[in-house]
Amino acid sequence: MRMLLRIVPLSLLAVLMFGADVDIEAAKKAEQRECIACHGLRFIHTQRLSRAAWQKELDKMAGWGAEMKDRQLLLDYLTAEYGDTKPVPQAPLSSDGSKTK
Amino acid sequence: MQSAGAQEPSIPGKSPMILHNDRPEDLEMPNSYFDKWLTPNDKFFVRQHLPRPEVKGDSFRLAVTGLVARQLDLKIEDLRKLPQHKVVATLECTGNGRGFFRPRVPGIQWGRGAIGNAEWGGPRVSDVLKLAGAKTDAAFVESDGADVGVAKTPDFIRSLPMKKALDPATLLALDMNGEAIPQIHGFPARLIVPGWDGTSWVKWVVRLTVAGEENKGFFMNPGYRFPKFARPPGSAPVPAELEIIEGMRVKSAITKPAEEDKVGTGPLTISGYAWAGEQKITRVEVSTDGGSRWKDAELTPQNLNYAWRLWKLTWTPPKPGYYTILSRATDSAGNVQPFVAEWNPSGYLYNAIDRVGITVEKTA
Repeated sequence: MRMLLRIVPLSLLAVLMFGADVDIEAAKKAEQRECIACHGLRFIHTQRLSRAAWQKELDKMAGWGAEMKDRQLLLDYLTAEYGDTKPVPQAPLSSDGSKTK
Repeated sequence: MQSAGAQEPSIPGKSPMILHNDRPEDLEMPNSYFDKWLTPNDKFFVRQHLPRPEVKGDSFRLAVTGLVARQLDLKIEDLRKLPQHKVVATLECTGNGRGFFRPRVPGIQWGRGAIGNAEWGGPRVSDVLKLAGAKTDAAFVESDGADVGVAKTPDFIRSLPMKKALDPATLLALDMNGEAIPQIHGFPARLIVPGWDGTSWVKWVVRLTVAGEENKGFFMNPGYRFPKFARPPGSAPVPAELEIIEGMRVKSAITKPAEEDKVGTGPLTISGYAWAGEQKITRVEVSTDGGSRWKDAELTPQNLNYAWRLWKLTWTPPKPGYYTILSRATDSAGNVQPFVAEWNPSGYLYNAIDRVGITVEKTA
């Protein structure tokens, strides 16, 4: 019982800090495994969308053949990290490739 | 301020570009490159939906099929033998400026730079169709590029209304600014559909099919459609009320100075671009006081349908402080750039009066 009391406030704190109890590391691994087969991740990470909008994007990708083991995990992760209340990052510049073909 | 980081990848043939994605390549032209009426190929923006195909010149064939008297299988040389034409036309991504819409919408968060202006050269689409004995009263010409979808991603196929396909300015371009079209821009053959959104300008064209009906694939419907009736920002689309996008709307943008720039009290050149789809740009006005008073900007001399005009205005700030600079364009049909762009769920056709805030500091 004493153990449980110690754990509960900690997880509550985690929820307060991160908004939801999302295993970000597991989600990042899933993203690496399941998204980059078809495309890079940059244009995901520069978007800031609501949960409903991310849900629509995941549904679209599932329809286009993405095999997602845990779609809920990806949705929680995208909403937590790239939600519409987060500031928008500036995309970087590529390195100079003008001399290469 | 953005800087070219050595850790970021380089894109073959491209100067440093705003890297929205590297696989496939989605590259925006930085504001600092908007100083030439013809955009150099190494600085021209890139939008790819699907992985870039490696089309080889010697094995390339263009199939002309459908409602034609004779099906054709054309090589590059065959296309070069047709009468060659040159058209200067501005190409703008349908979603250029998407990043300015509020509420935000999904898709690449383009700023001002998914646009460029080039001289395109090659045969007219109408001459290619004539060679095949195409039934020109059919409604559409469908075009397919050599790119293909990964997994179950739909193929990129577009239908162009026959009327626009037969327009003498509509080309199957082989050249871009006097050289063979670079691979990343659609080598060896790309549709040039002047005044229309970039989605119509299919790259790596390997098939033209004359058809009575519009293609039913994703990139015609629901992709690249615009609400017939505007709905409140944030509303879900009504699928039956979405229309195909054709011509682009009157627009100007400020490419210098940049947002949040700090400048001295001396003369400052404000510059940018303006274009209006199939119309010409007749006027660009600039305000340095938030829209109370407007002054006419100086325009580049080329006054053509389909091509942008660059503009500039030299202004000496009366005193230090924060200034909101605005630009608005007017086209040859009398259309004036609006204060507010029409919000739409996919973030297309952004064309609101542009706005940049700068701080003028006392020069010592």
